[in-house]
Amino acid sequence: MIQTRQLVKRYGTFTAVEGIDLHIRPGEIYGFLGPNGAGKTTTMMMLLGITRPTSGEIFLFGEKYTHRRLDLRRRIGVVPEKHPRGVWPWMTAEEYLRFFAELFAVPRPEERISSLLEKVDLLGFRNRRIREFSRGMLQKLSFTRAILHDPDILLLDEPISGLDPLGIRQVRDLIMSENRGGRSIFISSHQLSEMERICHRVAIISKGRLMAEDTMQNLVARLFREREIHVELEKVPQGLAARLKKLPSVLECTVRGETLIVTVPRQGDFRRVVSEFLIGQDLVPLSIQERVVSLEEAFVTITQENIGSLVSDGGEG
Amino acid sequence: MKRSSLIIALLLAFAPAFAQAPVRTENLIYSVLAYNGRDYSPTFARTASPAVFLIAGVDNFLTVRKTLVYFWPLTGEWKTNMDALNVPIDGVLEITDRWGSSIRVIPSRYTYYNERGEYELNWKVAQDAEADRVWAHWSAILGAYEAAMKDYRDRLAKEQDARASLIVRIQRLRNEGGDVTALVDQLSNMKEPEAPQPPQDYVVPPAEIQQAFIVNLSAGDYTLRFKSFDGSILEGSEKRLVVHQRRRSGGIGYEVIPGDRWTRPVDSATPSAVLYVDGSSDLYLRPYVEDEYNDLYYAKTIRNDARGNPNLMKWERIQQIPRAGIELTGGGAGKSMIREEPWFVEQAQGATLGYRIVPFDPQGAQKGKEPSLIAFRVTPGQGSAVTGLRTVDSSGGPLPGSERQIRVIAPPAAEPVLPLLALAPLGAMALVLVRRARRYRRS
Amino acid sequence: MSGRARAARVIAKRQVFEALVSPGLYIALVAGLFLGYALVSGFARAVDSSGFNPQLRPLYDIIGRGLEGAFGKTFVDALFAEGPLPFAFSVSFAPVFLYIAVSSVFKFGLEKNAGAVELVAYGPADGTSYLIASYVKDLLLSLFSILVLLAFMVAAAALYNYLAGPELFVAAVVAFFLSLALLAYGSLASMLTVNASSSLALFLGIIAFLLVVLFGSFAIVGEYVRTLSTVIARAVQWVSPFFYGNLSLRANAAGDPLGFVGGLALLAVLAVVILTASHFIISARGVRA
Repeated sequence: MIQTRQLVKRYGTFTAVEGIDLHIRPGEIYGFLGPNGAGKTTTMMMLLGITRPTSGEIFLFGEKYTHRRLDLRRRIGVVPEKHPRGVWPWMTAEEYLRFFAELFAVPRPEERISSLLEKVDLLGFRNRRIREFSRGMLQKLSFTRAILHDPDILLLDEPISGLDPLGIRQVRDLIMSENRGGRSIFISSHQLSEMERICHRVAIISKGRLMAEDTMQNLVARLFREREIHVELEKVPQGLAARLKKLPSVLECTVRGETLIVTVPRQGDFRRVVSEFLIGQDLVPLSIQERVVSLEEAFVTITQENIGSLVSDGGEG
Repeated sequence: MKRSSLIIALLLAFAPAFAQAPVRTENLIYSVLAYNGRDYSPTFARTASPAVFLIAGVDNFLTVRKTLVYFWPLTGEWKTNMDALNVPIDGVLEITDRWGSSIRVIPSRYTYYNERGEYELNWKVAQDAEADRVWAHWSAILGAYEAAMKDYRDRLAKEQDARASLIVRIQRLRNEGGDVTALVDQLSNMKEPEAPQPPQDYVVPPAEIQQAFIVNLSAGDYTLRFKSFDGSILEGSEKRLVVHQRRRSGGIGYEVIPGDRWTRPVDSATPSAVLYVDGSSDLYLRPYVEDEYNDLYYAKTIRNDARGNPNLMKWERIQQIPRAGIELTGGGAGKSMIREEPWFVEQAQGATLGYRIVPFDPQGAQKGKEPSLIAFRVTPGQGSAVTGLRTVDSSGGPLPGSERQIRVIAPPAAEPVLPLLALAPLGAMALVLVRRARRYRRS
Repeated sequence: MSGRARAARVIAKRQVFEALVSPGLYIALVAGLFLGYALVSGFARAVDSSGFNPQLRPLYDIIGRGLEGAFGKTFVDALFAEGPLPFAFSVSFAPVFLYIAVSSVFKFGLEKNAGAVELVAYGPADGTSYLIASYVKDLLLSLFSILVLLAFMVAAAALYNYLAGPELFVAAVVAFFLSLALLAYGSLASMLTVNASSSLALFLGIIAFLLVVLFGSFAIVGEYVRTLSTVIARAVQWVSPFFYGNLSLRANAAGDPLGFVGGLALLAVLAVVILTASHFIISARGVRA
């Protein structure tokens, strides 16, 4: 659907994006991650034709894309991070959507607008002026505008930034719903937990370079060769960790409170071995859980940035 | 009254008498007798003046002299005092064009005159021997006229003596009771000798022969210098010489004399002009031929220190149109033709102030008098608020550019309609805002 | 129709709609119309038995003296030769045009900074589409205003018995073509600067400079002022809409229709050149806020 080949963007001597190769497939939800200043926005702007690449190629829907191919932009819907509320405050929601419907030559615009507004629960606000909309309503309106012309792919920039939990859920549901309908989704976001939940594949960019592009599973498998099994006991007897460590499949065993943390190889399922050992010791585990490596851990490992600063900068959540 | 106040009052009363006389300074000037399209008018360019302005393609006369110049604040113009100092300077005029080629002009003897023709302007210039011939011819005509006048005066004196003695004889015979019929017949048959007609050959007779540099150039910018016979340039004599020409000719303008202010005429020179009047008085029109010149250059041709705008062109009056007619339209009566008529300004009788303009009757009320003005009378607003007019020549052909309209203007009764119209956009705005407010309320 | 042209049409339509639902244009029109009314009604009271006499009316006395002092009596005579309507129209149009141009320049800067241009450029449009749309909107509003003012002048002519003659329509035509080039300068100012205030300052600065140079070279106030202005005018005249407008008016006064049309054509060419420069600037700088 979208493919880039050695995309480069330089501003004078500063290289914002260096040799990016992206490949977004039809029908997938693709996450685009990176710390501030990594080159996410620059890359997105190049994909949209707003910024011209210094070198490299972009292919949209199999065709080579340049800034002159305004026709290809009809197949893309964009939800920017911030809706420009301050510019058209006098417009009603309906006028706003009608303008974009006309811009994209949407057939039967009145019908389309009505059905979409109903879908996002904004039908009752169609004659309200934009300046009276809340943050969440603006985001839904923005979303509606982006899908008005039935694009093949949606590009979302921080779609849940600044939303309350209800708003986040609504947007998440919209994204999933659109994807189920066959639309590809490209999301650039800091909200790693959300990305983890909805993305089929993610790309991680740092300092202008593409560090990784793969499914969550494959990323974790490539990054982490071991797994952790957490066993919660009523009480951890003295010497239990040392005895457990002697098992051939156990790489490491530590105790944290009343929980045993058993490190085993990634390949294979060792819960049974651990369970059998504990039963042999007359111990009944309260719970046995495998700790799943999160996208956040993978992200940090790849970018080696302080995650705290990422959460406090720019994003609200 | 205090003595000091009295002194101050007296000083103030006589202050003008103590005003300083204008400062006269010695200046090298170009004395210019320039042709301005209708006649020759004198002006001068003082040392500080950067340029001399002349019309192209005609003879203009320049001399160089030393004199006193001063600024006259009452009229805001520079003047010369040639009675006090007037020293002509001999030499050669050098005129250089913008490509660097020069011509030398030496002084010539000349006269100029205007021969009578159908139109007023038949200016001619004669130089050297031709000037002598013209002057001699004019002198002969003048001499013949003066001789005829002397003879007339002699014959008139004789006739008046004879008339007086005949009257005495009639009175004496009547007193004696004699028959005076024959003598009375003789008296009534006596005729005064006819006065000789002044020479009609010239509108402006030849001027006495003078010497000057005769400058006749094509349009352009030149540099003017005066050189002594030894070749040295006279200090202060270098100036720009602007030779300009009319852009268009043959335009028709009108002198407009209002009946209620006949001594203060105005000109309607612009061909597309409309005469807006209040209709309170008749208009007396005098059409004239006009040419179009550069506003500044023409003003400075007539008076070197005049002001004007070099970016604008102006129609300048040249001469009256002889034997013209004016065609009027409007008023529902179709076209009508009016002719130039003589008019007389009759003062109001008794203690009343004012006057009225009446048709000139040389055989009746105005016998022995001259007409006050000769013009076309138009009564604005007669039957129509718009009167169209155009001038036709002696053969009845309309003169291009002579079309005008006379429109009678008065603040109309329906005038308040206009400010209401000006407020119409606010009404439209209110409508728009109300409709949008209704739309918002629907949500 | 090309994609860019089509997008420009849609954007222009929205902008025209926005202008028509905002009070600013109407207020500017009322201000212009009232100025015109003052001039046309004042003229009727400044006419006596021999013609137009500015001294009869304070407003015209000030105007007449001011213009005569600056430009000479010939200028004043020519200005009012056909009557008050050409002058009244020009004076009325000035504040309306100023409003249209200033609000457009300011609004473009605001919209660009707020990301509206970028938002539209996500679709089948680009910065040039927005530029063209904004320009077309301004032209349409100018044309609309000219027609409203002309209609008002024609009504005044009927009411007062003035002549709504060729000079009035010449003034209207020249005003429109002047708008072409001046509005193009507005677009250029918007493209060259980073925010609305800078755009406005640049645009007003350009117009003021060109006007001062024109008046300086046209005035008769002082030889030095006129000479200096004339020298500067020769350098800047090729990019000055007022120079070409003046060419047209002078050709019209000289009865030269080809020269008149030529001056107007040059105004259109100047507008195209400036807009092309604006296009290149926005293409190079992009539409990002």
